[in-house]
Amino acid sequence: MKKDLNKSAGIKLFISRVVVYGILIFLSFLCLFFFYLMFVNASRSNAQLQAGFTLIPGGNALKNFVNAWHDTNISIPIGMKNSFIVASLSAILTSYFSALTAYGTYVYDFRFKKVIHLFILAIMMIPSQVSAVGFIQLAFKYHLTNKLWMLIIPSIAAPSVYFYMRQYLEATLPLEMVEAARIDGSNEFKIFNQIVLPIMKPAIAVQMIFSFVGSWNNYFMPALLLNDIQKKTVPVMIATLRSADFTKFDMGKVYMLMVMAILPVMVIYVILSKSIIKGVTSGSVKG
Amino acid sequence: MAEVALRNIKKIYTDNETNKHRKSLFRKREEAGEKRSYNLQVTDEGVVAVQEFNLDIKDKEFIVLVGPSGCGKSTTLRMIAGLEEITSGELYIDGKLVNNVEPKDRDIAMVFQSYALYPHMTVYDNMAYSLKIKKVPKDEIDRKVREAAEILDITQYLDRKPKALSGGQRQRVAIGRAIVRNPKVLLMDEPLSNLDAKLRNQMRSELIKLRKRINTTFVYVTHDQVEAMTLGDRIVVMKDGYIQQIGTPQEVFDHPANMFVSGFIGTPQMNYFDGRLTVRDGRYFVETKGYEVELAEDKQARLKEHNVEEQEVTLGIRPEHLFITNKGIKGNVDVSELMGSSLHLHMTVGDSDVIIIVPTEGAKIDYSGRELEIGFNGKVAHVFSKKDQHNLEY
Amino acid sequence: MDKTLKSSERKSISYAKWGYIFIIPFFIVYAIFTLYPQILTIYNSFFEYYRDGLNIIGPNFVGLGNYVKLFTPNLSGYIPIVKYTINTVILWFMGAVPQFIIAMLLALFFTSTRLNIKGQQFFKTVIYMPNLIMASAFSMLFFAMFSMVGPVNQIILSSGWADQPIDFLAMKITVRSLIALMNFLMWFGNTTILLMAGIQGIDESLFESARLDGSSSTQVFFHITMPLLMPIFIYVFITSMIGGIQMFDVPQVLTNGIGTPNNTSMTLIMYLNTFLGISKNYGMAGAVSVLLFIITAILSIFVFKTIRKK
Repeated sequence: MKKDLNKSAGIKLFISRVVVYGILIFLSFLCLFFFYLMFVNASRSNAQLQAGFTLIPGGNALKNFVNAWHDTNISIPIGMKNSFIVASLSAILTSYFSALTAYGTYVYDFRFKKVIHLFILAIMMIPSQVSAVGFIQLAFKYHLTNKLWMLIIPSIAAPSVYFYMRQYLEATLPLEMVEAARIDGSNEFKIFNQIVLPIMKPAIAVQMIFSFVGSWNNYFMPALLLNDIQKKTVPVMIATLRSADFTKFDMGKVYMLMVMAILPVMVIYVILSKSIIKGVTSGSVKG
Repeated sequence: MAEVALRNIKKIYTDNETNKHRKSLFRKREEAGEKRSYNLQVTDEGVVAVQEFNLDIKDKEFIVLVGPSGCGKSTTLRMIAGLEEITSGELYIDGKLVNNVEPKDRDIAMVFQSYALYPHMTVYDNMAYSLKIKKVPKDEIDRKVREAAEILDITQYLDRKPKALSGGQRQRVAIGRAIVRNPKVLLMDEPLSNLDAKLRNQMRSELIKLRKRINTTFVYVTHDQVEAMTLGDRIVVMKDGYIQQIGTPQEVFDHPANMFVSGFIGTPQMNYFDGRLTVRDGRYFVETKGYEVELAEDKQARLKEHNVEEQEVTLGIRPEHLFITNKGIKGNVDVSELMGSSLHLHMTVGDSDVIIIVPTEGAKIDYSGRELEIGFNGKVAHVFSKKDQHNLEY
Repeated sequence: MDKTLKSSERKSISYAKWGYIFIIPFFIVYAIFTLYPQILTIYNSFFEYYRDGLNIIGPNFVGLGNYVKLFTPNLSGYIPIVKYTINTVILWFMGAVPQFIIAMLLALFFTSTRLNIKGQQFFKTVIYMPNLIMASAFSMLFFAMFSMVGPVNQIILSSGWADQPIDFLAMKITVRSLIALMNFLMWFGNTTILLMAGIQGIDESLFESARLDGSSSTQVFFHITMPLLMPIFIYVFITSMIGGIQMFDVPQVLTNGIGTPNNTSMTLIMYLNTFLGISKNYGMAGAVSVLLFIITAILSIFVFKTIRKK
């Protein structure tokens, strides 16, 4: 009797495990399938693509790449260069200045400190699109369209990154450390740059990754701001692909362009997935 | 290397200052089991953390500020360091007014309770940091760091990061970081309180040795009266923002200025009895529960000097000054603790608890449950005013 | 006169000024690039201000005129802003329901000590990945896959499920489903990780004692996990809603900005975008933005309330 109970429980567990692994494998398949197909198609010639569907890569990847790279309507190299400039500079600025601002409200006692902290928390939820109308209006008024720095500089004021940095500081930086540095003769800027920034390295790294990815993928504002082909970023170029007459394209090239748009982030993700996933939880849930 | 003078120093924490630092200190100490019993004065301007603080610290003196948490000792130290603004009063280091001088220009060094070592730097870089900022030549930095490391016996850890060190080693690094600079004044804020009891004893004696090797002025904050007694040339006992007494450990122990000091200094704590001070033929006597002694000559003189009159008093007698006699105050022994060379007897006398220390004298006497009579002599009886608890000798 | 006193007064050891210095870059940039444009947006919403060919009309003050216009039925007989808001909510909801159900299940699987799932890091890495993919490229990929000549139709034709290729982008149900599927794929991994963290934050001993008391797994879920997870669940749910209201990249690229068919997949931000294109209709765009702001503000209040409760 007792043995039977144990046995049936074992069978039940086995069955639920099979079901759970089945679900997990199905979802993983779903997540990977479209990207896998994208890679496969990017390696096939237009004729092969028209002929039919397969899961086996073709031998045309290099040719598609060369075609995509030299396409004059899309100029993906320029797009990638622009995207890279915007994304990396935004990542650096947003993490440095958010850390600086968080440090400012955490370490120093000044009159409006609490008000300022609450203010930044309150504006965190305002969607960026709300300022878009005024932003675009100003950009056109002062002839600032097609300027990449218009996408870079605003990243200095990033309330959600501030929030993350502030929480990180509260958890990791004892005030005595700052005081020790003061007594060691360091000035306030040096304390931040030489003592606090190194301590915040993990937080900075996480926020730089997220900000880089977010900026690399950003479509709404660049699409409104950039119309010069020399200034467009990758997402804007990919979207123009959609508006052209699609059926006339060399589809192998089109898939290759998508690969080139997605691949940099994928590579970053494959290398840093562990810390990225950790970063997802550490920033957002804690109140 | 320097004299420090504090003249009527006062510190008020205004309401918009968040007091984060102090709060975190309180938290730490509560975790360490220390009671949070403070009773600071609150005015319209804010909480008065320190007031009427007057102290002249002599060159190369070792001063200990001691008191329960919230007494203002850390705040005072932080004002000397320049980490905290001085609300009013004057602070002089080496004769120069430094109220508004930044910490880096005061030529002081400080050892923090949490050590506050820079986690991303090696031990060497931690110690060298202040010299690097001062742009001291590299070879001189190297010499000074190695010298300090030698003194503190941490040479073999110079390449390690603080994370890889034990608590005691981190403590040494924190001290090393402070002494490489040859500061005029070395400030220490509860430096031993994060160590376990055994290490604390060891580090205490090393501090005494260290003190002999480096000639500088020490200001040391602790809540532990044993540290205060063993380390200080003079100790400053504080409570609720006020200085209670300044004196050598011996003075403070032998002549506590008030009941607070008498209870704070010395373990086990001083015993208190309700008693009466009487004057007969110009001589002072104290009496409690029918037991009367004549006070010693020095006490007679001092009481006479202050024209003290007959009154109800609180008598304070240290446990080691009580003895067993056959004609004294009756009491029952509740617990007898063998401490090795002595016995601690916990007794009930009337309605108060009394501890008395008696020598074991080889023979094993079991006092538990017995009724004893205890007495004291006129040299060791402290007479405190019932009204304001001050020692009537002062 | 007393110069020394003066200079020492100036050189106070108060560090407060450094607090201001350190937060100033943030606020200058915020004021110029966000706050001022936001105020301008709201200001614009009370003006008739747009471009007609080469002519710029306005700005003429019209009071609440733009808002009235926004809520006036168009020639097709519907009120655009209402329809698009409903579209947005439907599109979000179609993706969010499976997203939260699956994410909850996965979070429970991953945290179950009984199941003891192996390879968690791998699964998490895979399911989170779509979240980082460029939404516009992802959408473009779906478009290519589901177009008339795309691989999906090739499969359908070659397997004989249909005689004709299916025009996925011409039918309301398929377009909405594709958008929902993409949103689901992009967000369920993220939600799983957040809910997992929430469950792991619950005191383990509560589960153990419940199990010893004889509760079944479903009972444990409804009596312990769910009530304790509720604040985090609500937080994640409402932030997802706020994100959903801002849905743009995916439907924009998939339908080339026109919300095919018949504007049934046109979202609020897509609508806003049409005003910012060639017409530069700052007045109407401003009114849409203000509405968007009000909706998110209400949702944010819920977020802050749940944070407060914790």
